[in-house]
Amino acid sequence: MATRTLKVDYIARVEGESLLDLHIRDGVVDAVRLGIFEPPRFFEALLRGRGCGEVLDIVARICGICPVAYQMSGVHAIEHVLGIAVDPAIRALRRLLYCGEWIESHGLHIVMLHAPDFLGYPDAVAMARDHRDAVERGLALKKAGNELLRLLGGREIHPVNVRIGGFYRVPRRAEFAPVVESLKRARDLAIETLRWTATFPFPDITRDYEFVALRHPDEYPMNAGHIVSSAGLDITPAEYESEFLERQVPYSTALHSVLKRRGTYLVGPMARYALNRDRLPPEVRALADAAGLDPVCRNPFRSILVRAVEIIYACDEALRLIADYEPPARPFVAAEPRTGIGYACTEAPRGILYHRYRLAGDGTIEDSRLVPPTAQNQGVIEEDIRQVATASLDLDQDALQAKCEQSIRNHDPCISCAAHFLQLRVDRT
Amino acid sequence: MSGSDRPSVLVAAIGNPDRGDDAVGPAVASRLRDSLPARVRILDRGGDVLALIEAWDGFSDVFVVDAAAPIGRPGRIHRLDLAGPAVLDGFARNSTHAFGVGEAVELARSLNRLPRHIVAYLVEGEQFDLGAPLSPAVAAAVEIVVRRIRRELALLSSQRRKEGGAEHA
Repeated sequence: MATRTLKVDYIARVEGESLLDLHIRDGVVDAVRLGIFEPPRFFEALLRGRGCGEVLDIVARICGICPVAYQMSGVHAIEHVLGIAVDPAIRALRRLLYCGEWIESHGLHIVMLHAPDFLGYPDAVAMARDHRDAVERGLALKKAGNELLRLLGGREIHPVNVRIGGFYRVPRRAEFAPVVESLKRARDLAIETLRWTATFPFPDITRDYEFVALRHPDEYPMNAGHIVSSAGLDITPAEYESEFLERQVPYSTALHSVLKRRGTYLVGPMARYALNRDRLPPEVRALADAAGLDPVCRNPFRSILVRAVEIIYACDEALRLIADYEPPARPFVAAEPRTGIGYACTEAPRGILYHRYRLAGDGTIEDSRLVPPTAQNQGVIEEDIRQVATASLDLDQDALQAKCEQSIRNHDPCISCAAHFLQLRVDRT
Repeated sequence: MSGSDRPSVLVAAIGNPDRGDDAVGPAVASRLRDSLPARVRILDRGGDVLALIEAWDGFSDVFVVDAAAPIGRPGRIHRLDLAGPAVLDGFARNSTHAFGVGEAVELARSLNRLPRHIVAYLVEGEQFDLGAPLSPAVAAAVEIVVRRIRRELALLSSQRRKEGGAEHA
């Protein structure tokens, strides 16, 4: 019996700490385990006993890259309990805040974490020596996204301005002037980034994913919509736990999520795009077409193109929202605490983020459930690696490892969020 | 402010003021603020260290003050000339969550955006506990770092005046 073992003890260029175990017996990949070894962070337990007004500042601390996602799912779930309907201008500002997070998160992932894989560099620092303009574009995109976070959230990382019922402070129209210039430039840079990534060499692979994303009647989804899938699922966020299950696996501190009836599924940019392309403006669709992106992309390596498309869209949408902005009469609406259970699902850069809170009559959090996108994608990442490794068995250890790591980075996993992730171990027999 | 009045020296203090010895950067910044010439700007940076690359654009002289991992002597002060050869390697393969000063410096070097004069003062920490104060040895190092940076600022001022004089001669 021929055994080959590949062990990567720390997966690079992913958000957080994880390892990969790959076992190959007689030329067949018989085990793939994506192990997340970041310590469990116990945020759900930490929230118990806290006032609902504290939730948004606590959950923003779960992630430095996608704090807005945690705040958005949190605020909508709690407002669901309290029966709050926010002013349309507040709704628009929240969508604008999310645009900022998509721009900075996707911009960083494309240039700092993912692009070096395609161009054969160990990291973005080495890549920057030969692709200075591309890296500068990435940094400028991140800066543009962060400017929105600073203006609307109070600061770039772990923003503090979102509150139940609205914002602590809303901006005046004039405050958007410098951001508008920055976003216009970011849109051009995002188009250049899309054209640059379209020239990358992409491995030929097709995956039969069940895509899961939000879908809204009028919008490319961010803060609102039903949870839908390519296999016909169509539910409200309140029905999430009736269709999805989180389960423990012995090798990971992160729970794995599955569809109870069909198993693994994919969330994130590829799923959003596949299920919501018709919600993108025609000019954004035209740019995607020109970059060679199919209406439904099933090659995970091409997810980098989808992220670039989503940056362009986020810039357009942000500019539209700013142009239409009229400050609300009040920055927030107050509501009395009451008992109940609230549910919300929003589109974090990496995919749907589900929150559920049970409140006591005085607004204390009695129980919570937070399901981050990376926890939901672990199953399909393992399946991707199995398919990619099976097609790459003739590669030497280093090349196989690189291919496996790239398969993981295709999905921009945020391990810190999920452990709430990488070492690679390959065992070839 | 006219172009000539624009601050030319940046002191970037890195660290979380509520994480034990990680607060050494903010502590040094706080002491330096007491009396600084107008040409010196202080920057507190707790989270997004990658943004240092933008922050030091236009500054000819930069000091970075940060805590260092414990390697045996809490409070020991390391002075590194970052404009010299790369002192770190292989770090940018980590996540952007863990993007630190070293990564920012090396990325800036790759992009030709490293200030011509950039010095790091790194103080070895002892503990980085949530809510903890500076440990005694690190607290004692704060005053020493402040004195050394002030001395370097005075020398830089004199050096820049000479350079300016030479340019105008």
